Amino acid sequence: MSTQPVKIGSEGKGDCLITVAPSASLKIEIEAGNARLVERGIRIVIEATAEVMGITAAKFTVLDRGALDYVLSARVETALQTAFPEVASPIRRTVERAATARDRLRRSRLYAPGNNPRLLAGIDLHDADCILLDLEDSVPLQEKSAARILVKHLLMALDLPEAWVRINPLSSYGADDLDEVMLGRPHGICLPKAESAADVESLSQALSEKERELGTPVRSTYIMPIVETAKGTLHAEEICAADERVVVVSFGAEDFTRDMGARRTHDNLLFARSMLVAAAKSARVQASDTVYADLTDEAGLIAETKLARDLGFDGKGAINPRQIEPIHSVFSPSEEEIEEAMKVISAAEEAERKGMGAVALGGKMIDRPVLERARRTLRLARLTEEGR
Amino acid sequence: MKNALGREIPKRIDGRALHPFQGAFGTEPSGRKVARPQKFIGLNENKVLHSIEDAIEAAGLKSGMTISFHHSFRDGDRLVNMVVDACARMGLKDLRLFPTALFSVHVPLIEHIENGVVTRIEGSMNGPIGAFVSQGGKLAAPAVLRSHGARWRAVEAGDVKIDVAFIAAAQADPYGNATGISGKTPCGPITFSAVDAMYAEKTVVVTNDLAPYPVYPFEIQQGWTDYVVVVDEIGDPESIASGTLKITRSPTRLRIARLAAAAVVASGYLMDGFNFQGGAGGISLAATKFVGEEMEKAGIIGGFAMGGGTELVVDMLHQGTVRTILDGQAFDLAAIASLREDPNHVIMDPGHYANYDSRGCSTYMLDAAFLGATEVDLAFNVNVNTHSDGQLLHGIGGHQDVASGAKMTVITIPSLRGRLPVIVERVTTVTTPGEVVDVVATERGIAVNPRREDLKERFLAAGLPVRELAEIKAEADRLTQPPRRPIFGDEVVAIIEWRDGTVIDAVRRVVGWE
Repeated sequence: MSTQPVKIGSEGKGDCLITVAPSASLKIEIEAGNARLVERGIRIVIEATAEVMGITAAKFTVLDRGALDYVLSARVETALQTAFPEVASPIRRTVERAATARDRLRRSRLYAPGNNPRLLAGIDLHDADCILLDLEDSVPLQEKSAARILVKHLLMALDLPEAWVRINPLSSYGADDLDEVMLGRPHGICLPKAESAADVESLSQALSEKERELGTPVRSTYIMPIVETAKGTLHAEEICAADERVVVVSFGAEDFTRDMGARRTHDNLLFARSMLVAAAKSARVQASDTVYADLTDEAGLIAETKLARDLGFDGKGAINPRQIEPIHSVFSPSEEEIEEAMKVISAAEEAERKGMGAVALGGKMIDRPVLERARRTLRLARLTEEGR
Repeated sequence: MKNALGREIPKRIDGRALHPFQGAFGTEPSGRKVARPQKFIGLNENKVLHSIEDAIEAAGLKSGMTISFHHSFRDGDRLVNMVVDACARMGLKDLRLFPTALFSVHVPLIEHIENGVVTRIEGSMNGPIGAFVSQGGKLAAPAVLRSHGARWRAVEAGDVKIDVAFIAAAQADPYGNATGISGKTPCGPITFSAVDAMYAEKTVVVTNDLAPYPVYPFEIQQGWTDYVVVVDEIGDPESIASGTLKITRSPTRLRIARLAAAAVVASGYLMDGFNFQGGAGGISLAATKFVGEEMEKAGIIGGFAMGGGTELVVDMLHQGTVRTILDGQAFDLAAIASLREDPNHVIMDPGHYANYDSRGCSTYMLDAAFLGATEVDLAFNVNVNTHSDGQLLHGIGGHQDVASGAKMTVITIPSLRGRLPVIVERVTTVTTPGEVVDVVATERGIAVNPRREDLKERFLAAGLPVRELAEIKAEADRLTQPPRRPIFGDEVVAIIEWRDGTVIDAVRRVVGWE
């Protein structure tokens, strides 16, 4: 390594600050709260990580602020990759991750910034349907590499219901992101600023290469294109239909309004939202609405989520765990809705048994769309019940 | 000898025989309470003295005696240091301190311990003094930790004879009536000292605000008070009570609070007349808020709230969500103001709250309570006194009293603090036995004591994430290398009393590390 020490991590809660300097042997100095209790554990993690990476001589100075093992090992790996770019080999581990169904419940996707251990801690505990680990907008340029390594270690350590990583565009750091995070076997990759079928296809190809390299089933990784530009909106149909990896498409209102030179109101976004839902449904994939930025306004969140649900969206983004419950409550059918749906279905079955073509319930005609909606309600109810 | 929990406790300390813990309600008191000597007081008696030194002299305080204090001024308290400094100047030695609790502000005591001025402490030790005493060999006898209720009982039973009670008062009159809720620097009720005032050989009220007779409410009464001393400062207003206590913003802690509140809702106890204990910790505060919201939504009117007055419960009182607040201590300025203004915000003393040897405790009227812990073990035993490294860090407060009384005790804890697991195989120290702990709410789910299958069924029916404590532990343990564990020697640095005066555990000196 160069003679300059490398400093990685932070003094933030749940993180650690690691300095690596040249040394003739492996030396570790630790400063931590509850030092007598935690020092040995920290040492074990550092030694194990260095050993796997093939580094036998370096001096580590660690200021621990309560970092969990996956944070610690990620910081050590980042520091060693930076200090010994030629020698250090990246950490790989076999990750067993249960596959999820294409059409599973995706009422919520919870964002967490990829380089913030404090906000990542417990990300798996809030009942979000999809966890979205972000390497793009919430991560400053100089932290990109630390973030993708941290996200990889988190993925290797935690069992997530459905784990997604939002990578940077393939035109910037996207490929580097994939090199790391695919080692953590996420269920899917979010493609920001998707603007064409070609964007999706090139990600799909990159994923196939990675899957082959890692020996995981090819085409097993999902894609969630994020449509958040004028061009993306107009090409929504081809984006949704571009690849069978696409299981859900999401809408990004902030970037979209900026691109349009518009202001964010429901009416102003109605075209883009409707376009996206129509494109998604025509390709038989799910649509997930944009995030609601005002954390303190739960009523506003619920109102916007209801509008999205009524447009046909299957879910909505969340920027804080506290938004999950309100979102889920909107997307879960009410008792009355379930009762109504059961009546519709039993009436339809009755009609079929009797060989009647058309059937009415309470004076209303039950046609195919009504029946479909009832089935969907019951399916959602069943999935919600199972998800509890 | 071993007690009912299998904990090894000493037979005697400091010449006093100890009795092993036999279960939460395992003993019955007998005999009579002790009493202070009679004293004649004529007309025109002047009780006002001009200095602490005068009071020490008048009260006849000698080396080897016991002096007591309350902690209502918390980290802003000036009196403990003032009195012990004066004792040191006057050449007194070998004093036993019997405070309700000591805080960081009392760090100068360390020097007095090293110089032999103070040789015994029976009371809660928060922070640096606990850490100092834990080193072992510092005190002539092990420290004794008691809950609010147990301290009251120990005085009445004669386990602790107080020679001079020093009582910091925010306001007092020259005849010895005193309060904590009015005056220049109010601190909330000072009824923690009521038992001291009634039972001490001599009672000294110390105030920075001498007001005309009569000062009321009579938290401390003229009939108990021997002397009144006026000083310039009794407490630092900055450190007495917080402006506003902050509800936690951590998503993990909020989740714990939500689950704890959901457990209360699902328990079947939440109905008109619901009595509960909140608290001032970030998680309990949030859980209390969520329960309040549920009550409002359902139109439920609670009976009483207790656990320390806070702006949050005062708001609930004002909105009519609870009928009454029973208050032994006030944590913020809004609560102190409400004690002066709201007739349904009632001052209570620890005897009323929680005395085992009495004819009734408010804690026995509780439906639900939220309590914290430094550790919980797989038998639902709770430790609030020591850290996982064996250091004494906190007092018991009302933990034992509330857990024993409440129909449903919910321990609200994160499964990890930093790299340290909170759920352990066996707690370092038992403060409160698993037999009185019903529910443990963590961010990874809710564990229910096997004794409470009824609650478990209700929680499951409500769709709450009920899990085994061992399962939650295993999940948290996967995230960090296990911490080292201390090795304890034979020297006992403190004993933990149960509510009835039996000993539930002993804290031993750490002699090494596994």
